[in-house]
Amino acid sequence: MVEKIKVYWYRQDKVAYVFLAPSLLILFLFNFIPLLCSVGIAFMDLDIFFSSPGFAGIANFAKALQDERVWNALKNTLVFAVTEVPLQILCGLLVAAAVSGTTLFSKTARTVFFIPVVCSMTAVGIVWSLLLDGTIGMVPYFCRQLFGITGLNFFRDPNTAMGTVVTMTVWKNFGYTMSILVVGIQAISTDLFEAARIDGASRIQQFFHVTIPGILPSLGFCLITNMIGSIQVFDQVYVTTQGGPQYRTETLVQYIYKTGFSNPYDLGYASAISVLMLTVILGMSLPVYFGMFRKEEG
Amino acid sequence: MHKYRKTDVERLALGVIKYGLSLLLMMIVLFPLLWLFCGSIKPEKEILSYPPTLFGSKISYKSFARIFRNIPMAVYLKNTLIFAGFSTAFAVLFDAMSGYAFARLRFKGKNVIFVIVLLTMMVPYQVMMIPLFLESHFMGLLNTYPGLILPKVTTAFGIFMMRSYFAALPKELEEAARVDGLNEIGIFFRIMLPLVKPGVMTLGIFHLMNNWNDLLYPLMMTSDTKMRTLSAGLALFVGERATTYYGPQLAGAVISITPLLMLYIFFQKYFVNSVVSSGIKG
Repeated sequence: MVEKIKVYWYRQDKVAYVFLAPSLLILFLFNFIPLLCSVGIAFMDLDIFFSSPGFAGIANFAKALQDERVWNALKNTLVFAVTEVPLQILCGLLVAAAVSGTTLFSKTARTVFFIPVVCSMTAVGIVWSLLLDGTIGMVPYFCRQLFGITGLNFFRDPNTAMGTVVTMTVWKNFGYTMSILVVGIQAISTDLFEAARIDGASRIQQFFHVTIPGILPSLGFCLITNMIGSIQVFDQVYVTTQGGPQYRTETLVQYIYKTGFSNPYDLGYASAISVLMLTVILGMSLPVYFGMFRKEEG
Repeated sequence: MHKYRKTDVERLALGVIKYGLSLLLMMIVLFPLLWLFCGSIKPEKEILSYPPTLFGSKISYKSFARIFRNIPMAVYLKNTLIFAGFSTAFAVLFDAMSGYAFARLRFKGKNVIFVIVLLTMMVPYQVMMIPLFLESHFMGLLNTYPGLILPKVTTAFGIFMMRSYFAALPKELEEAARVDGLNEIGIFFRIMLPLVKPGVMTLGIFHLMNNWNDLLYPLMMTSDTKMRTLSAGLALFVGERATTYYGPQLAGAVISITPLLMLYIFFQKYFVNSVVSSGIKG
């Protein structure tokens, strides 16, 4: 028996399955099965207490399409995505262009800019909430003292809440985009910059005609991952505004979480909304994927 | 002559803008964190004082004492260490094993299995979180350590990443070991795994950072206060407005970010790599 097992250790076509077994088992159990079930649950009448489970047909989807809060959450999510993503990429790009060098200053700057990426959104949310607080916050105080702007209450004012969440997210995440783009810039051959310089290209021209084309794939990657990530925005809303004020910052995942895991604890309905969210994500990311593939072919 | 002067002026102007804006941005990044650390050791009264100040007049650890009294902070810390520690350790091992199999071993069904693994990478977690919750419920895994850890002990991304590290190693390595009569398990643990140490470190930091900071997942998988992690416990504490004190919130935030920041100081390269490697492969 022992001999038989030992023989297996020497056969790579057999031992491969041993190497793969733990991962495949876990992926099957905790990724594949939930994925298959997610659509099924959306067609069910199911709450967290299993009080009266049953088949609901398309009732959950019909309800979702008529639910004003779903449309509101979708709108907020899209507003977040189309403001946060370009801002973060622009910020990351400009910073990356400025500090992609190997000087001590550039390295120090990169070290600093990456710090917020390491911090949890919970901690960042706590800090920003208190710094921007209408009564005790330091930022409203300085706005009053320096610019004479009074009555600022960033997270609690319906008109500024979403903008504040977007700004906080850019602050936390631009270092992520910067790091990816710095690697892209450093990979561009220095000969290209040299040639451009000899041809009389200014720094700004070099940026537009050498740097940007050189990191186009990295930029595309950042666009896709940030887009997909921003549709799933949850943490920053949960720890700062909880969707308020007046549902102005309620996003899809925040609403899914609220529907499923607090009153009314309606898992079937929450699943239906998450399936709708998946279609939004696919609808946004597939064109970008196809656009990139076409560009690579052409 | 004229052209050179023009580029010199431009170079100077860009330099001023570059250093000026970089310094300003560094201050914008560092100020909230500095304020956080100062605030956590200020007396509560001075956090509320008007006009607001950055530095307190004296150091007080009352906020830390309060947060440990108000919520089971020590339990949260222990849970986070167990959850993030075990998830990370297992995930690195299992991801490396699978990545190695896909990169270096010949076996039937390799391509099909690999495509399936890649497909699971495309699906956003939020879409399958409710079925995952139900499944854990039926398996009796909610509010347990295995329930928190098991779904996180492997990731398609990690497998994908380790595969590329193993694929980059020279071809003759394992042939020589096989000729010497070493078995496949030995080849993996004694020869191949030590050679991808940078990959192991990068993936380890990647998992550690994600698990330590994760909010939605532990929030969903634990309803029992005794099982909460730091970021989930703190978020609930702040969200419920269970406190009228501000100091303890700051102290809690300090406790939750300090361990990773310390690691960041020593392993900065791997932190940045873990983010960037997810970028290059895309």
